[in-house]
Amino acid sequence: MEIVFAGFGGQGVLTSGLIVSEMALEEGKNVTWMPAYGPTMRGGKAYSVVKYMDGMIGGPDMEEIDILVAMNQPSLEYASLMKDGGLIVINSDHVDDDVKIDEKYDVIRIPCLTLAQKVNNPKAANIVAIGAMIKKCGLFPPEQAKAALRKIFTEKGKGKYADMNEAAFMEGYDGV
Amino acid sequence: MAVTKTTPTMVSIANSFCPGCGHGILNRLIAEVIQEKGFENKTILTLGVGCSCNMNSSWNGDKIQCAHGRGASTATGVKVARKDLLSIAYQGDGDAYVIGLAETLNAAYRNEPITVFVVNNNNFAMTGGQMSWTTMPGQVTTSSVHGRNTDETGLPIKVPEIVAEFPNVAYVARGSVHSAKEINRLKGYVRDAIEAQLSGEGYSLVEVLCPCPTNWGMSVKQSVDWIEKEVVPYYNLGALKERKGE
Amino acid sequence: MKKMWKGNHAIAEAALRAGCQFYAGYPITPQTEVSEYLSARMPELGRKFLQAENEMAAVYMIYGAYACGMRSMTSSSGPGFSLKQEGIAYLCANNYPSVLVNVQRWGPGLGTLDSAQTDYLRDTRGGGNGDYRVIVLAPNSIQETVDLMYEVFDLAEKYRNPVEILSEAALGQMMEPVEFPEFKERTEDLGWTFDGTNRPHGRIANPDKPRMVKEKYERIAAEEQRWESYQVEDAEYIFVAFGLPSRTARNAVDQLRAKGQKAGLIRPITVWPFPYNAFKEAKGNVKAFISVESTDAGQLIEDVALAAKKEFETNIPVYGLFSGQKIPKTKEITEFCERVIAGQEKEVF
Repeated sequence: MEIVFAGFGGQGVLTSGLIVSEMALEEGKNVTWMPAYGPTMRGGKAYSVVKYMDGMIGGPDMEEIDILVAMNQPSLEYASLMKDGGLIVINSDHVDDDVKIDEKYDVIRIPCLTLAQKVNNPKAANIVAIGAMIKKCGLFPPEQAKAALRKIFTEKGKGKYADMNEAAFMEGYDGV
Repeated sequence: MAVTKTTPTMVSIANSFCPGCGHGILNRLIAEVIQEKGFENKTILTLGVGCSCNMNSSWNGDKIQCAHGRGASTATGVKVARKDLLSIAYQGDGDAYVIGLAETLNAAYRNEPITVFVVNNNNFAMTGGQMSWTTMPGQVTTSSVHGRNTDETGLPIKVPEIVAEFPNVAYVARGSVHSAKEINRLKGYVRDAIEAQLSGEGYSLVEVLCPCPTNWGMSVKQSVDWIEKEVVPYYNLGALKERKGE
Repeated sequence: MKKMWKGNHAIAEAALRAGCQFYAGYPITPQTEVSEYLSARMPELGRKFLQAENEMAAVYMIYGAYACGMRSMTSSSGPGFSLKQEGIAYLCANNYPSVLVNVQRWGPGLGTLDSAQTDYLRDTRGGGNGDYRVIVLAPNSIQETVDLMYEVFDLAEKYRNPVEILSEAALGQMMEPVEFPEFKERTEDLGWTFDGTNRPHGRIANPDKPRMVKEKYERIAAEEQRWESYQVEDAEYIFVAFGLPSRTARNAVDQLRAKGQKAGLIRPITVWPFPYNAFKEAKGNVKAFISVESTDAGQLIEDVALAAKKEFETNIPVYGLFSGQKIPKTKEITEFCERVIAGQEKEVF
């Protein structure tokens, strides 16, 4: 499984990757997480690539993407690296409604920021997107996903936000 | 009452410096102070590249040869590993003030607890007498054959004066070996510099004006006279930064 | 339970567990996290972290400390590692151990921050003045980075020689699940180190030095070759790759085998000494070697060609897939091999 979380700096796309890595790790998979770094990050571009599988993972960077989570419009450039039939999760708060997507991809549009604001957690648009992605693809059972979410934020010393983040996750999960 | 002076162990092997060179005197003074402090078996000398390299065969104590200019860095590493030992960098002016200016100043800037001795003989001596940043205005060297033109090459550098401006360094001085009186004073500077390290006060630097008759093309007498008349008025002698509490 | 660790943080933590007491370094992307991590951890452990004024100063601080026997290391990337070469030559000249980490970035000069393997020839050939070698280990995962880092101080002290971990930008920046070994410490005196007493250290200007140098490097080459073989025994098309490209090359082997092609992979773990012995395992009808590397003009391929020459009586062609500042993709490698099979690629050696 190869997932790309892309957006601009501040949308939490690196953290998105870490959260999903944790979920995969809990399942005993081999996992890699690779961030955009250095000049790629200047000018506001950010992404992280998560790969997980039972066998050995090849290169950590984008090769053939299964799922692209596009938190903003420029992120759609990575669609060219996607597998046919792959899924694009679009944050419709930051991507125009009339943007054209090749029909060979499956697409879900979800207003991540709006839903995050609904639960008073505007920073958690990325987590809303994860919720939507997991529901759509059935990647992990929701309880396992929520446990990983809680673990990540607790380890970062942000355990007090766990409930708020879980609420954001459920907004995305139920929003699909 | 008669005083018996014995040669300190660390300079008990004949050195290979040129006749009239000042290095030997400084070697002896450092060795005397180390012995007085009881540190003969607790000192590591880091040798720079230049005439200091001669001490690989004459300095009868632990010595690490490092690259040109990196004496202060190496001595810093030695002190990190062995806080209980005396870590001394022994360098020439070309080594410490030209190629190694960055390392010299940065070690002082950080107030590394090491002692640096720099022989200033106003030229690159080991390579046959080229211009150094300490070469005097108008001084003839093999790379300033018409005399040093300070308009193009800068005025002689005064590193101890720069270092003395760093707020927390422990001790900075400039001495000379051109007369018995100055040699006696120099021993006091050497002692202060070493004591500053041993008592944990921090970084210490002593620059030493030394004759280089071979490369200056002078007799020994002419060399010491030249230091007195030409060098000392520019490179003033004495402590530039006194130890705290003195 | 394994936890996700960033490569640069993991290598730093592994160094501490291996007993590293002193680190000196200078910031440079993409290895700065090594320094940052150690700047936090070393004071906690009562060890010394020093941010140096430049790369030379950093390597000489290590030089001075390891001359006194203290487990010390420095790290850098591409251009910064070039500056360290002077000091590495001094370490080798005096037979001082040390541990060096190069998290490679692409290109000569400033280059870019992209992941690459373009320092291969410099780092495996010495890199500074004089005839010397550094033992160079090239991990391909973060767990292996940790495992190798745990050993390198012992290795450096065993041979009194610098040992380098040759990492890559992506390997430093990415995260993978990692498990760490326990903390260890060497307490015994190495016997030759500087302690102020002027005991023998091994002479520097020994007239017998050329012979000693040759013997030492022959001994290391005989005893320390490390590699991993994958499907090599009956292989006809053998990839040679280290570091991250070895992972995509391994996947390419699987894809080609699934299509009925007898592909295999030799992955050098020591890139110096180069694992010539690995090539003895190829007992099939070898038709080609393919060097897969993140370089522009080919570097590893020179060692592959030498190994092919040394271990095979027939002249086996050596091809190169050079992916520049990218990790070669599995698909690219598979397709390259298929073109080799079809006679559509030109051999380099």
